[in-house]
Amino acid sequence: MSRTWPEPTRVLIVEDDQATARIIQARLEMEGLQVFVASNGVDGLEILHREAIDLVTTDLMMPAMNGFRLVQEIRDLPPPKGRVPILLISSNQNEQDMVRCLAAGADDYMTKPISASVLVERLWRMHQRAFSAG
Amino acid sequence: MHLPPDLVLRALIWGTLILASLVTSLILLGAGIQFRRDRQNQYRIARFQAWEKDLATYLFSGEGASRPFPPIAHEDRRLFQTFLARYRATLAGQEAEALRDLYLRLGVHNSLPRRLQHRLATTRAQAALEVGAFRLTEQLERVVPLLNDPVPYVAHLAAQALARAGDLHFARPVLDWVLREERYQRERLLRVLEAFGPGLLPWLEENLEPPATDPESWILFALLTGSHRHRESEPRLLELLETRDMDIQAAALKGLAALADPLTYPTVEPYARHEAWPIRAQAAKALGLIGGPDAIPTLIELTSDPVYEVRRNAAQGLADLGHAGASALTWLAEDPTADRFARDIAMERLEWADERGHQ
Repeated sequence: MSRTWPEPTRVLIVEDDQATARIIQARLEMEGLQVFVASNGVDGLEILHREAIDLVTTDLMMPAMNGFRLVQEIRDLPPPKGRVPILLISSNQNEQDMVRCLAAGADDYMTKPISASVLVERLWRMHQRAFSAG
Repeated sequence: MHLPPDLVLRALIWGTLILASLVTSLILLGAGIQFRRDRQNQYRIARFQAWEKDLATYLFSGEGASRPFPPIAHEDRRLFQTFLARYRATLAGQEAEALRDLYLRLGVHNSLPRRLQHRLATTRAQAALEVGAFRLTEQLERVVPLLNDPVPYVAHLAAQALARAGDLHFARPVLDWVLREERYQRERLLRVLEAFGPGLLPWLEENLEPPATDPESWILFALLTGSHRHRESEPRLLELLETRDMDIQAAALKGLAALADPLTYPTVEPYARHEAWPIRAQAAKALGLIGGPDAIPTLIELTSDPVYEVRRNAAQGLADLGHAGASALTWLAEDPTADRFARDIAMERLEWADERGHQ
């Protein structure tokens, strides 16, 4: 499926598992996206403040600041940063966690193991929705 | 006995020298081991970095057999297994299949029969993990004996491998393994059984002895029904509620709560007044998920239960009901004439929600 991402589209990956972060990074870079990686929510938030990030994927369970808290912190920011689309990725299939994260403002939720192709497609949909909503 | 002073002096000097050389040898040996480990780590990091790039190309460009991956040196095969294992819990779909192809290409699966019976637990564990991670169905029969492995970690990996295969032929040995574990461990081990998929539930219904004979298995059945949201098992859960076994009843209520079918509300509601507090606690939780506004009076009543767990679940149940339940909690918290237990638990629940920024 062909997708034409606007240039530059910047994605922030917040993930404490380096192997996972790097494989997602590689897949997104193949899409032509500019990727930033942080290993916890605190570093992720710092990158978000510094860079014009268009999409965020974040793990749920992380040291220093978990994904749930990160979503809340991002949503407390003024727009446009506070409206950046967020995809949560977790190894936890707990329904209550999913509901909590979506209620906190995450746009989508995926549980590990993930298909990188599905991840890209979801990011694309999220980007399209955010773009069409202005 | 009196020794000449020069002999004592000599003995002391030699003793000191021997001790110093021993310490020096130990320091040198430690430094050598550290140096070797550092070299190994550097080598491992370098290989992993190179393979990460190769893996990305392999996974995300080209299709099927056309996917390129550089050959792995014989001496690197063990290291490469470790590398691949890092991705087994991360990748799904086509990429997981591609990983499996890559693993099979290594040829290390040929040594699995030997490694599954190896004297070292770590080797047996690694072999069981490979069978599960790469779905090597032809090895599953050889994994079954590991369920009785003296090392719990090995048995756990064996159970995971069998369950992940999804073949109900192995349901009985894995179920027996779960039942051999302590009861407090079983909810954690449900994750293993869940890997069989929802097909396990009809199998259990057909193959288990009646609840009076085999209550423990039916408790697992009820909990699994909840985790799979297997609506087809709801009639059996309602039957389990009528048993005289308190643990089965509590598990059935848990399952019904997860199914969240409002039609079961009239059946569940009377259990809020059960004499056993674990049943009341589970009923409180369930009512919050299946009851709707009709459940509010019962849940308010349970917030003044003498048992803390029941009060806590009742407050959670009210919060789960949404706006109407949250209003009831606020009313309880602010009403000075309300029961003290009820007021305290309502305040506790509201403060908890406030700290986390949600209901």
